[in-house]
Amino acid sequence: MTNHEKPAEAVVQLTRVTKRFGATTALDGASLTVRRGEIVVLLGLSGSGKSTLLRHVDGLELPTEGAVEVLGQNVPELDGRRLRSLRSKVGFIFQQFELVPSLSVLENVLTGSLATARGPRLGLWSYGRSAKLAALGHLDRVGLLDRAYQRADTLSGGQQQRVAIARALMQNPEILLADEPVASLDPESSDQVMALIREIALDRGLTVLCSLHQVDLALSWADRIVGLRHGEVVLDTETQGLTKSQVMEIYGRVATSTRQLAAIEVELLTDAATDSVR
Amino acid sequence: MSTVTRTPARPGAPTTAGSDTEAEKAEQEALAARAPRRRISPERIAAALTIVALLVASVFALAGIGINPAKMAQSWSNAERFFGRVGAISFPEPGELLYLTGLTLGLVICGTLLAAVISVPVAYLAASNTTPGNAWRAAARFVGVLTRAIPDVVFAMVFVLIFSLGTLPGILAIGIHSIGMISKLFADAIEQIDEGPRLAVRAAGGSRMQEFTAGVLPQVLPSWIATVLHRNDINLRGSVILGYVGVVGLGMQMSFAFKSLDYGLGLGYAVVIFILCVIMELVSSAVRAAMLGIAPTGRGLGDRMLRGIRRGRPVRAGAQTGAGRPAPTATPAAALEAALRRPWSRGRIRTAVWGWLAVAVVIGSILICDIAWGDLATVWAKIPAIAVQFWPPSFGSYDVETMLGAMGETIAIALAATLLTLIVSIVVGSLAARNVAPSPGVRAGTRFLLVVVRGIPEIILAIMLIVISGLGTQAGTIALAIGGVGLLGKLLADSFEEVKAGPERALTATGASRLQVYAGATLPQGTRALIGNTFYMLDTNIRCATLLGIVGAGGVGYYLLNASQGSNYGTVTAIVLMILVTVLIVEGLAMWMRRVFR
Ligand SMILES: Nc1ncnc2c1ncn2[C@@H]1O[C@H](COP(=O)(O)OP(=O)(O)OP(=O)(O)O)[C@@H](O)[C@H]1O
Ligand SMILES: [Mg+2]
Repeated sequence: MTNHEKPAEAVVQLTRVTKRFGATTALDGASLTVRRGEIVVLLGLSGSGKSTLLRHVDGLELPTEGAVEVLGQNVPELDGRRLRSLRSKVGFIFQQFELVPSLSVLENVLTGSLATARGPRLGLWSYGRSAKLAALGHLDRVGLLDRAYQRADTLSGGQQQRVAIARALMQNPEILLADEPVASLDPESSDQVMALIREIALDRGLTVLCSLHQVDLALSWADRIVGLRHGEVVLDTETQGLTKSQVMEIYGRVATSTRQLAAIEVELLTDAATDSVR
Repeated sequence: MSTVTRTPARPGAPTTAGSDTEAEKAEQEALAARAPRRRISPERIAAALTIVALLVASVFALAGIGINPAKMAQSWSNAERFFGRVGAISFPEPGELLYLTGLTLGLVICGTLLAAVISVPVAYLAASNTTPGNAWRAAARFVGVLTRAIPDVVFAMVFVLIFSLGTLPGILAIGIHSIGMISKLFADAIEQIDEGPRLAVRAAGGSRMQEFTAGVLPQVLPSWIATVLHRNDINLRGSVILGYVGVVGLGMQMSFAFKSLDYGLGLGYAVVIFILCVIMELVSSAVRAAMLGIAPTGRGLGDRMLRGIRRGRPVRAGAQTGAGRPAPTATPAAALEAALRRPWSRGRIRTAVWGWLAVAVVIGSILICDIAWGDLATVWAKIPAIAVQFWPPSFGSYDVETMLGAMGETIAIALAATLLTLIVSIVVGSLAARNVAPSPGVRAGTRFLLVVVRGIPEIILAIMLIVISGLGTQAGTIALAIGGVGLLGKLLADSFEEVKAGPERALTATGASRLQVYAGATLPQGTRALIGNTFYMLDTNIRCATLLGIVGAGGVGYYLLNASQGSNYGTVTAIVLMILVTVLIVEGLAMWMRRVFR
C-alpha cells in the first residue's frame, strides 16, 4: 500500500478510542483513519459499536479514553459554537431517516442549513430565498423536486431517506456519515439509496463513512471495509484486493453468529495480507 | 377490589378431617408449598385501605350534608315561590350584552395565552428530555404545582387589590393559575416526542434553541394547541367566579344583579354564560378534532393533498416548458424558480385560514381588553406595601375551630359530591360506552347528554340552585356532583370502550347474559381507570369546593371572601395556606393511587 500516489490527508482520525456506558464497553481501543474522498464501510454485528463510533465522529458522543480528530480539529476539546460549526461540515444520515413528520419535505431539507442560518427558524417563510433555491436544487438532485411541498410522512421510506440525503447535502458537508441507511428499506429502494449516496460522494469528492451489516453490499459498494467486533477494530482492508470469488464465498456464508463472523474476519485479514504481499 | 387476599382454594380437595392419610396430607402440603403465593405488595394494601376509608368518609359526609328527599321536597316549594317572585328572566340590552360577552371572552383568551406563553419555558425546563439540569427541573415542577394549587380567585383578589380596575387582574389571575396545568401537559408532550428529528438537527450543527424550534416544536404543536383550547374552556367557566371578587365581565354583572336582588337579570346572565360555555366547548372540540385529525399521521389529508398537487402539477409544467420537451432535463434554474412558489393546496389554504383566524381572535381579544399597559410598569412600587399586609398569616377574629370546621365542610362537600358523581357516572358512563350500551341510539343520546352537562359551569349551577332552592351546602354538593358526571361519565365511557374485546367475546360465547358480560369482563378491565379517574375527580372537586363558599354554597370559600372584602389579608393568607395544604395532599394521594393501580 506504500506504492500509492500521494496519499490524501486524513479527515477522520480515531486513536485508541474507548467508550464506556456504565458497565458496557461500546468501543474498546478502536483506531481508524479515513482519508479525504474515501468511501469506507463499517461492518459488524448488532451491538458491535458501529453507531457509537459514528456518533464520535460527529461529536454526539465523547470518548472515555483516546483521541478523536475530525477535519483537523480535536473534537472533545471543541466548545459549543465550534462543535456546531464542525458538525455542520459533517452530514449524518440515520437508519430511521429522522425527518419531522408534520413538516413539508422542503422545510425538512432546509433544517440542514440551520447551523449557518443561525437563530430559531419557524416555517418556510423564515428561510431566505437563496437557501430555498439551494434546497430545491438538492431535492432535484435526489429526484424529489415535485414532492417539495408534501408532508414528509406522506412519502415512502426510500423517498424519506432521499430527503434526508438532501438535508445532509444542505449542510455542504465534507464528510458524510451514514448509520445503516438502508436497514429499514426494501431491496429495491435500498439499492437506489446506496447508489445515490455513492454517486453524490464521487460528484462532490465527499468522504463517506457508512455502517452496514450486509457483507455483500459492503464489498460491492465500498472502497474499504472496517470490521468491528465488541468495540474493537478487527478488520481493515481495501475491497479492491478481494477477488469476486472471495466475495462470493463470503456472501455464501454470511455470518449468523459472532463466532462465524470472527472466522470470516480472520480469513479476510489473511487474504488481504497475501494480496498486499503479491 | 382486586387486592383482597384469597386463600388458595383447591376445588375438590376433601375437607373432612380424619379421612386424610399421612401420605395424602404430606402430598397436599407439598402441593400447597409449590403453588405460587399470591403476592400483594404492602403498598397496594395501604392503597386499598385508603380507598375504603375514603368511601366510608364520603358516606358519612353525604349523610352529614343532609341531602334527603324531605329537604328536596321543601326546596321544591322554595323554588316555586322563587319563580313566582322573579317573574320573567330578563336580559341586558343587546349592545351591552355583546360587549360584555366579548370582554369576557377576550379576557379569558388573553389570560390563557399569557399562561401558554409562560408555560413554554417552564415546560422546557420541566421535561426530562429537554431540561438543562435536575435543579431546573425541580424548580419548574414546583412552579407548576404551586400555580395549580392556588385558586385563580385568590390570585384575582390580590391583583384586584393591586390594580384596582380594568382587565389586568383577571388576565393575570387566569394567566398565572393556568400555568400549572398547561406547563404540565406541555412538558408531557415534549417527553413523548420522537427524539430522532431533534438528534438530526443537533447532528447538522443546530444550536439548542434550533433543536427546540426545528426538532421539538413541530412535533408537539398540535397537542399544545389542543391543551390551550381545553384550558381556555375551563377558564371561561372559571371566569364567572372571578366576577364575584371584582374581575370585570359577565360574571361581575351577574354578581351585581344577584346582590341587588334582581334575580331575573341574574338568571339571564347565568343563561348567557351557560350558552357561551356550551358554544365554546363545541367550537374548541371541533377545532381539536379537525387539527388532531390532520396533524399526527394524517394519511387521509396527506393523500388528498398529494392528489391535489399531482392534479395541479402537469398543467404548470406544461405551461412553463411550452413547446420544449417535458423531460426532467428542462432548464434546472427556471424549474427551481418555479418551484419556489408554493402551490395553494387545500392543506395550505386550510392552515392559512385557521392561522389568520387565530391571529384575528388574539388581536381582537387584546383590543377589547383595553389593557392598561402603563399599570404593569407602575405597580411594582406598590407591591411591597401590599405584600406586607398579607403577612403574617392569622385567623384574625375567627377561632381555629371555626376555620378548621369550614375547611372540613369543604372537604365533606368534595367527598360527598365525588361519591354521588361516581354512582351516577358508572351507570351513565356504561350506557355511553359502545360495547355496553344496549343500542347505538342510547349511546348517542347519553354521549350528547354528557357533552351538555360538561358545558355547564359548576359555579353557575351552584348559584342557580342556591338562588332557586334556598339551600346552601346541599346546593353546592349537588352542583358539583352534576358537573362531575359530565367529566367522569365521559372518562369512564372512554375507558370502557378501550377494554380488550376478547374477554367480552369469550364470555358471550359461553352463553353469559349482557349483564354478566358487563360484570365479568368489562367492569373488571375498567377498574384501574375507574380508580384513577375517580381520584382525578376528587382532586378537581376539592379545588372547586374551596370556591363554592364565595357564592354561598358552604365551606371555607365564604370566609375567604369575607376576609378579603374586610381587608383582613393575614386571614386570606392563612386560608390560602390551608387550601394549599389540602389540595397538595389530595393531589399527592391521587398521584399515588394512579401509580399503585397502574
Ligand atoms: N447511550 C447508551 N447508553 C448505554 N449503552 C449504550 C448506549 N449507546 C450504546 N450503548 C451500548 O454500546 C454497545 C454498542 O452499541 P452500538 O449502538 O454502537 O452498536 P451497533 O453496532 O450500532 O449495533 P446495531 O447494529 O444494533 O445498531 C451496545 O452494547 C449498546 O447497548
Ligand atoms: Mg447502530
